[in-house]
Amino acid sequence: MRGGAAPPALLFAALGLALAFAPRSSWTPSLLALLAALVAFTFLPVPRVWLEGIFLGCWISVIATAGSVHLFRRLTPYAALTLSINAGVWASGVARLSGSRLDLIETLPCVLIFFPASWVMSRHGSIPVMVVASWVIAVAVLAGSLQLLPVTPGYLPDHLE
Amino acid sequence: MSTGLPGGWVAGFIHPFSGIDHLLAMISVGLWGAFLGRPSIYVLPVIFPAMMVVGAILGMFAVPLPPVEVGIAFSVLVLGGCIALAIKAPFWAACLVVAVFAIFHGDAHGKELPSAADPVGYSAGFVLATGLLHISGIALGLLNARPNGVVATRSLGCLIAIWGAWFLYQAIGI
Repeated sequence: MRGGAAPPALLFAALGLALAFAPRSSWTPSLLALLAALVAFTFLPVPRVWLEGIFLGCWISVIATAGSVHLFRRLTPYAALTLSINAGVWASGVARLSGSRLDLIETLPCVLIFFPASWVMSRHGSIPVMVVASWVIAVAVLAGSLQLLPVTPGYLPDHLE
Repeated sequence: MSTGLPGGWVAGFIHPFSGIDHLLAMISVGLWGAFLGRPSIYVLPVIFPAMMVVGAILGMFAVPLPPVEVGIAFSVLVLGGCIALAIKAPFWAACLVVAVFAIFHGDAHGKELPSAADPVGYSAGFVLATGLLHISGIALGLLNARPNGVVATRSLGCLIAIWGAWFLYQAIGI
């Protein structure tokens, strides 16, 4: 099992951490853009052969979104919008090929991590949020690397089955 | 259908707690960071998981490394020793020491990852557990601000180093 709720949950959490570094005025437009991208791309047909590429794109998006926390001290509203649309595209792609729409609905609240993250930032600075972002990056790098392994991963049936 | 280990998040989360050598090393990273102060207190817990991922990838791809058990035992000994002796290493040196040891710890975790039926959950579990152990170490390091707190944390470092020496003795099998 590698699909389901985990990949969109990580992507939404990464987006939430990134939005904590964006101006408050950009939060609502970014959330609306995320919802619009999710709705639009969830209903688009995605060929099954794109499965590996969609997963890789999802993990790269998690790394880039959480990495923006380390690269930029402040996220511009346009960057926040771009990251939101990007998250919507890859999350809906993963859910479409290896999960369900219900997974998206269940994991969407993960993006709201920007509320506690911005609260922490206002009191203790950005470091705790950056540490959590580095954990998200670590998980995405591990999950993405597994795809490139020359062995049968545990989530696939092997030659005995 | 999956063929791997049934455990996902829970198995990954428990893994760092299942070996006292991993557990002591990760607590030591936070504790030593607290001793060194800024920026090590927050950079070391970022470097450790980052380099642990490098080690895990090396483990997944079966890249040969020096004996991992010796490296892990050595990490407990050295990190405990640094706390016990209150070594104020330069920032770059502390980063280098922690990065090298993280590769050994990551290798040990990463070798199990390909067989996990839920690798994302497994990774998330062990990265979170590692992070929480670092935070526990930093929390223990807050004792330094109290009267006799430094003596308490240095004594703890001494115990960790002794334990590390025992691990090393077992790993080398003298």
